Formats: sequence, structure tokens, C-alpha cells
Amino acid sequence: MSNTINNNCEGCPAYSKSNLVRLGVDMENVDYVIAMAGNPNTGKSTVFNNLTGLRQHTGNWPGKTVIRAEGGFIFNEKKYKIVDLPGTYSLLSTSTDEEVARNFILFGQPDVTVIVVDATRLERNLNLALQILELTNKAVLCLNMMDEASRNGVEVDVRALSKELGIPVIPAAARKRQGIQELLHTIEEVATGKYVCKPRKIKSNSPKLNHAIEKIAAMLNKEFPGLPHVNWVALRLLEGDNSIIEAIKSGDLGNINVQSPQIQV
Amino acid sequence: MQVIGSIIYTIHGELLFAGILLLVFVLWFFFPKKGGYALISTAMMNSQKVMVEDALKYLFDCAYKNVPCNLNSIAGNLQISSDKAGRLIEKLLKMNLVRVQNQEISLTDIGRSYALRIVRVHRIWERYFADETSIAQKDWHEEACKIEHLVSIEATEELAAKIGNPVFDPHGDPIPTSEGKLPKPKGILLNAMKGGDIGKIIHIEDEPQNIYEQLVVQGLYPGMQVYVTEILDNKIVLAADGDECMLTPLFAAQITVEKLSNEERKTTKNELLSELRLGETAEIAGISPNCRGLQRRRLMDLGIIPGSKITAVLQSASGDPVAYSVLGTTIGIRKQQSDLIFIKPKKEKNNEQYNK
Amino acid sequence: MEDIKNTPSDREAILSAANAARWDLDMDFHDTVIETIYQEASQIARKTVKQKGDKAAYSYDLKIDKIVTSRWLGFPIMFLLLALVFWITVAGANYPSQALSFLLIDKLHPLLKSAMEFLHAPWWLTGVLIDGAYLSMAWVIAVMLPPMAIFFPLYTLLEDLGYLPRVAFNMDSLFRKVGAHGKQALTMSMGFGCNAAGVVAARVIDSPRERLIAIITNNFSLCNGRWPTQILIASIFIGGLVAAPFAGIVSAAAVVSVAVLGILFSLLVSWGLNKTVLRGEASSFSLELPPYRPPQVWQTLYTSLIDRTLIVLWRAVVFAIPAGIVIWLVANVKIGDLSIAEHFIQWSNPFAFIFGLNGVILLAYIIAIPANEIVIPTILMLTVLSSKLSGIGDGAGVMFELDSVADTANILHAGGWTLLTGVNLMLFSLLHNPCSTTIVTIYRETNSVKWTALATFLPIILGLIVCFFTTQIWYLLQ
Repeated sequence: MSNTINNNCEGCPAYSKSNLVRLGVDMENVDYVIAMAGNPNTGKSTVFNNLTGLRQHTGNWPGKTVIRAEGGFIFNEKKYKIVDLPGTYSLLSTSTDEEVARNFILFGQPDVTVIVVDATRLERNLNLALQILELTNKAVLCLNMMDEASRNGVEVDVRALSKELGIPVIPAAARKRQGIQELLHTIEEVATGKYVCKPRKIKSNSPKLNHAIEKIAAMLNKEFPGLPHVNWVALRLLEGDNSIIEAIKSGDLGNINVQSPQIQV
Repeated sequence: MQVIGSIIYTIHGELLFAGILLLVFVLWFFFPKKGGYALISTAMMNSQKVMVEDALKYLFDCAYKNVPCNLNSIAGNLQISSDKAGRLIEKLLKMNLVRVQNQEISLTDIGRSYALRIVRVHRIWERYFADETSIAQKDWHEEACKIEHLVSIEATEELAAKIGNPVFDPHGDPIPTSEGKLPKPKGILLNAMKGGDIGKIIHIEDEPQNIYEQLVVQGLYPGMQVYVTEILDNKIVLAADGDECMLTPLFAAQITVEKLSNEERKTTKNELLSELRLGETAEIAGISPNCRGLQRRRLMDLGIIPGSKITAVLQSASGDPVAYSVLGTTIGIRKQQSDLIFIKPKKEKNNEQYNK
Repeated sequence: MEDIKNTPSDREAILSAANAARWDLDMDFHDTVIETIYQEASQIARKTVKQKGDKAAYSYDLKIDKIVTSRWLGFPIMFLLLALVFWITVAGANYPSQALSFLLIDKLHPLLKSAMEFLHAPWWLTGVLIDGAYLSMAWVIAVMLPPMAIFFPLYTLLEDLGYLPRVAFNMDSLFRKVGAHGKQALTMSMGFGCNAAGVVAARVIDSPRERLIAIITNNFSLCNGRWPTQILIASIFIGGLVAAPFAGIVSAAAVVSVAVLGILFSLLVSWGLNKTVLRGEASSFSLELPPYRPPQVWQTLYTSLIDRTLIVLWRAVVFAIPAGIVIWLVANVKIGDLSIAEHFIQWSNPFAFIFGLNGVILLAYIIAIPANEIVIPTILMLTVLSSKLSGIGDGAGVMFELDSVADTANILHAGGWTLLTGVNLMLFSLLHNPCSTTIVTIYRETNSVKWTALATFLPIILGLIVCFFTTQIWYLLQ
């Protein structure tokens, strides 16, 4: 079961193509905001184009999307805005791309974050996925390039992966437009809160570091009660992340403690 | 107009000569380090302000290390005559930056906060040069010494924010906070270690520069594990990352180490990725600290992480770079970089697939 | 709503606690964090991913790679493929270019003129709009569109296939020696199509210093718009030196040497920049070799047409229209007896002679800055104007070209051109400021006035130096 792309439902009424209206860049009054993140060269732009009907150029190059792209679509009468974040390998260093991606997910509080990964290089891609799960609770993993994976004899146990990560995992082949309906359906479930994610959190094995994180996290908790992803914020403080330092100085960090309402009208 | 035209036709030899002269002059003027522009900018550095700031920095350093400081040591450090140093001290006294007690010179509170500001600027820029530019390791200190007198504290704070508010400079010295806080010095000097001790280098002093450069050439760096094998009369013998290394006490006094008690001694010397032959697979042991900033980030992004398996798969048509397969991706890496990546010595042959 | 506990001093306490903790942590704790995450990722991957059978497709990729990067076949395959792309571009663009030129310049231009006459428009309005703006725009479209519409899709197909990173992989050792990135081989070959596109293509270089080098030196790739100039001047002045049967091959060799000289300059300047102004810029090297993928032909055609061809063409047209107006005006607005153009030509002639050029060439390169394609028509028009030739061309300010090389040669000879002028024009055409489209693109890509100015003035200074020494040594030897 693991290697087939669930496409059988293209015909059923709930998934029928007519439910998807691509909006290009028209994005007035959206119901949900979706962020799309992923490593460079994972077909992220192709997934984006499939959802929005836009045609960003996607070359066989690592890191083609240089600027942040936005688009929109309507699915089951709900309007979605989708933000294609720059492709990065990690969220932990000081490059501008990573800062954009990191800050959008943490401060922008998207309703769903779609993590696009290359099924043929899952291990490498999971590095970024795990980092994203540190700073959001609502995410979907889009396991792209399943066609290439099966050509190369790579088998991914989708159910086990979903269990390990604590978020839904959707196999897809965006170049062949496979799995997109499934993805849309899952995005909707996560956005509306029908599917509750329990994302995996990382624990470092350095006692010295863990101690430092715990100490800072305790102080943060006292100062900003209910702050989500407090360990991540503490870690970023230890890394000297300036946007976090500024948010603490100004008190803005307190504003992300309320989970964004499930349905915005 | 026609007259000028006809003149130009007749003086070609002279024009050629003038052209060559001009070209030579321009080349000389912009020649890096020794050209006219470089000479002018060095000459501008010897102003009074620079003298004052350098003296404060030196006094601060003495206080931090608990070494007494007098007129002669200032003159020696700034490389000026004791006459000039005397006048400089008078000026500092007048500005209320230092005080003198029994020939011993120390900073006042105002002087100390002034000095801390310069030290902060200096160390942040050193860190910036090390991490975000391609300026050579031996030039960081010198470049930072130049820039610390020119930039404003605001510009430096902006820079610090951009590079992740560093707390250590690349030599392992702590950077004072913008409020002037600084931790107590840690560790002991290498020449205070006994035979059989294991320690980790936490700091290498960057002044005087000729000693620092030699230590760099020896391959010593902050973060490196050292094991003192034996102490001779005038030599300390140590194993540093598996390499044997001999230092005189003078040199060893430039290095601060943190003693490790329960740590395993690293006995094996790691091999370099560049020594891996096509078709061979090895486990990555780490990236040398001499690979910094952007290059280091990029390599880690690509999966050059301790524990990852790496295989040499392809050589480019001209021999260098070599493509390696790591975590399912093929990456071209130049020899320059694969010389800075350590692998565990045990190699697995995997010849049936990569037979050439 | 602000919590009362939330005081600035408490917040400061968090920050200083974090700072103190950082001093206690190891300097390399950042690496430890990343290692932890990778270990976790690898655990999950071990539990969920299975590799079935042999890695058929990988070894297939590897087999192709062994061939295209082999010591003996790597470079020939690369040159063959790139030569093929250029040949298809040149051969394929010829016919549509002629058709467009016939349609837009030979047919539509007179038609528009008579339409204006029919409307009783004043002569100067017809001049500015039709002979200036329209003609310049038509020229740029006719010469620029067909080669770009062929070159870019072909290039994009190679890109999507995954072959281009292999070219960069093979060429890297050459570029490393001058402090540049192997991918500069790609931006350079893109530059042979269009410098503006070459500058955009430098995005794929992820190291700031090497990317700037590639952007600044891209202009040394002889672009599409300059090839016709080189070919025309070479066949008039250099082909004419030898017996007729050899004329073609000798002038072709001259053009190729100019292009090779451009590559040499590009390497030399890369080396120089690396040693001087760009010494401190951050640099890194890594080159991913992605798996080969069958290109999506139709999507590629569509996106390369929209993304590359039309955007570049649009920028060129936007600049060509005002330039056309300026060209017409300088040839027609008179101060005293002479037009502005003639004043400038006479005034700048002595200066230009030092460099073995003439006032016409200088003026043409100034007013035809939007596109190298309109330099030759402007030179011809200005030569006719300043030498007071009658019966040739379509009047002051109206750019033209002649079908016959011999007729063009006659005009240039009448304008006082010699073999030296020809050689210098070829050199100057290679080494002068980038066209305005490229300058704007450089600014957009670097977001820096400093680098844009360097990329603009460096080649023109080099061009003047090279022309100066060529000329002076030439005279010395005579």
C-alpha cells in the first residue's frame, strides 16, 4: 500500500475537480493562509503551480525560487491563500532565505504549513521537516516525486512515517498531477481542525544544552504564559536570533500565544 | 578642431608613452596592500584618536588578565617611544580615562566602559570577518584594528544583529554585551598543564601576530582536543587530533585550555575526505573549524554531518571537483573543501557498482 | 490587554540569562543541534524507507555521468552540444528575422509614413514617431526576437534535463583558477545569447562573491546583438585583405577570435576582481548534480518564452522607443547650419582618433545604448549624414541597412574608415558598456549602485585602453 499514490478518488463527488477553483494571484478575503516550505529542488514550485494555476518557472536546479511567491485557490467554497517560501535546507542559520521562511511560519502563524519533500531523498528532507514541526502544530507532509521513487525502487511506509512525525503524510507526484486532490482534502482537514496534529519534537542529547534550554524556557513561560513552541524560541535565543530578541524586547512575542482561530470569516 | 586633429596624428610615440605611464600609475595606485591608495589609508590610521583607543584596549586587556601595566609596557605594546607614551598617558589622565598609582596604570570607570565599547566593536568585526567574508585568518585582527576606530557603535550593533549576536570572537574571546558585561576568564594556560592531561583549546591569543600565525600554521584551533604527552625542559609535547606537536613555553602561554577529566582521549587521526578514492565509502567524522561561515553552512545543509555515509562517485573531466554521494544526493566538492572534511578511517569497499 | 508582569526589565533579564548561557555553552553547540536533528531524521528514515532491488535508475544516471564527465569525452560532448545549440539558433533565426524585418521595416514603415501624410501630420511628428520611435522598436524586435525565441527554449531544455550542472562540474577547475564558480560557464554561454539573460542566470550561483563576478563579467560574452556587427565589419575590412576564396573563412576566424578574446577578458577580469574589490566577499562552493529528468517540453517552451524571451524583449523595446526618438532628434535638430549629431561628431573626432575610432562610432554607441542591434544602422545613418553623401539611405535620422556588403563598405570608406577603424570597432563592440537592458537587469539583481556602476564602466574603460594601445602601436609600426 505504501507505494501507490491514492488517486482512485478523483471521480468521487467530494474530490471532483470542480471543487478546485484556481485563483492565480487574486487573493481578497481569504479564509485560510497556507505556507509551503521544502528543500530546494523538491518540486515545491510544481505543487504550488498545480494548486494555484500559476506558472512559476521550475528548472532542474537547486534553488530556483528566489523571491517569495503567493497565489490563491478556492476548495470546497473556502478561499485559501498560499505562500511559497524560499526553498531552504534548514531553518537554523543566518541566511536571509531561512529568516524569511522561519519568521513567516513562527510569526505569520499560517493555518497549515505544507512541507514538500522528495520521496527519493527522504532522510535529507526530513531534517527540514523536523525543524518546521518545532515551530508549528499544523502541518501536512507532501511526499512528492513518488513516481521517481518507485522507479528507483524506493519504498516509503506512509502510515509509519505519519505516525513518526505526528502529521498527515500525502504521497504525490506533482509533475503528473497525482495526489493533489488528496493533498487539498488533507489541507482542509488540518485547517478546519478536523485532523489534530501531534508533531514530533526534537530533544538534544547534550545535557548542557538541554539545561540551558530548560532554564530559558522557564523564564519565557513566566513572562509570556501560553507561548507555543517555547523550547524552539529558547533555542533561537541561544543562537542569538535577532527577530526573537526584538520580539521579546517589544513584547510582541506575547501576541503569538493565541492559536489563530479555526475559522476566520 | 582640425588643428588638434592634425597634431594628434603627429605625436603618436609620445601619446603611447603617456598612455603607458598613466596605466602603470593607475595599477600602482590600486594595487592591494602596497599601492598608493593602501599607503594613504595606512597613514591616516596614526591619529591621536587611534592612539588613545589602542592604549585603552591594552589597559583593559591587562586588567582582564590581572597583569600589572606601566608606562613602558604601554610604549612597548603600541610601539611608540616612552616620551610619546608619557604624553599619551597625560592626555588620558586629563580625559579622566585612567589613573596612576605607584607607577601602575589602570582604567577608571569611564575608561573601562570606553574600552569595553572598543573591544566589543573589535571582536564583533573579527567574528564577522571570520564568518561572513573571505578575509584570510591572519588578517582578521589587523582589519578589525583598522575598522574599530572608524565605525560607529550603531553600525556595529546592526552588524551584530545580522550575524546572530555572537558572544565569542573567532579566537575564543568572549564579546562584551552592549551593556558592558563580560564573563570571568575561563580555563588555564597550556603551559600550566601536566603530562597526561587532556584539555580542549578555548582560546588562542592573536597578539603578537607572528606567534599567532605560527600557531595557526601548526593547525591549532579553538575547540581542538589536546593531550599533553610529556613535558621536557623547554618543550611541551602534545597530541592534537592525533598529530604530534611541540611547543615552547612561550608559545604554549598563548593558548588557553579547558581541562577535561572524564573525556576519552582521541587517539586516532581522522583521514581527509579528499583521500577517499572513487567508489569508496566512509563515515563523516566532522568538518574542520577552519571551514567557516557560508561554506560550513552550505556543507552542513548538504548533509556533511558526523555520522553520514559518503561515497566518492565521479571525477570531473578536469580531475577536480569530485562528486560525492551523500544522503541520496550527488554533490560536487572541490579539493580545497574536501581537505577540510574529516572521515573515519574505516572504509568500505563497494567496488562492484563503481568499477571504472 | 498587556500583562502587568510583562515589564521591560523582566524581558531584559531573559535576554541576559540567554547571553550568560551562551558563554557557558561550547562554541560549536550550533553544530551539535544540527547533528541531533540529522540523527533523528536518519532514525525515522531507517524505520520508514526501504530500498528495493538494485538502484536501477541511479546506476543509469551514473553511467551517463561517467560518459559526460569522462576525461576524453566530457569536453567534446559539451562543445558539440553548445555548438549545436548556437548553430540551430543562428540558422533557425535567419529566416524569421528576415521575414520580420521585411514586414515591420520594409512594408509597415512606409505604410505608417503614408498614413501620417494622409492625416496631414507635421513632418517632425512623423519623424519623431515613425522614423524615430517606431523604426527603432521594429528593428530591435526583428533582430532580437527570433534568435532569443530559439535559443532560450533550447537552453532551458538542456537545463531541465539536468545536463547543465554537469557542464559546470567539468568547467569548474578552469574557473576556480580565476576565483570564479564553475556555473559561470553557464552564465557565460547564456550571455552569448543575451547578456541580460546571462545576468539573471547568475542566480543559480549561490555564493555571493562568485555570483557578483559572473554578473560583472557577463558583458564580455559577445551577445546576439553584437554578432552581426562583428560579422559585417570583419567581412568588409578583414575579409577584404585576402583573396576572395579565403575571405569568408578569414573573416569568420576574425569574429571567432574576438569572441575568444572576450572569454579571455572575462577570465582575466574575474581574476582581477577576485584579487581586489571582491576580495572580502563571502564565498563558498558546492554544486549539486541533480538526477536526470525527462524535460517537460511544452511547459518549458511556454515558460522560457514568457519568462525569458518576452521579458527581455519588453525591456529592450521600452528603451528602444525613447532612444529612437533621440536618434531622430540629434540628426534633425539644427544649431546653426549643422545638426546636433554633426556638432558632436566634429567635436569628438580628435578625441576618438586617439583610440582609432571616430566621432560617428562614439555617438552611435551613446545613443544606441538600448540595444547593440541598432548600432550598425545608426552608424550608417550618421556616416551618410556627416559625410554629406547623397542618394543613400532614407534621410536624416532614419536608420537603415543595406543588403549588399559592398555598398555598405562604400559608405564606410567614404566616411573615412580604414582597416584600423574596422579592427577597433570590432574590439570596441566587444569591450564597451552593457546595453541599457543589461544595466537595469544588473541593478535589479545586485540591488547595488556600486556594482552596477562597476559593471557598466569597467568594460568601457578596458575597451578604450585596448583601442588606444592597438592604435598607437599600429601607428608606431607603420
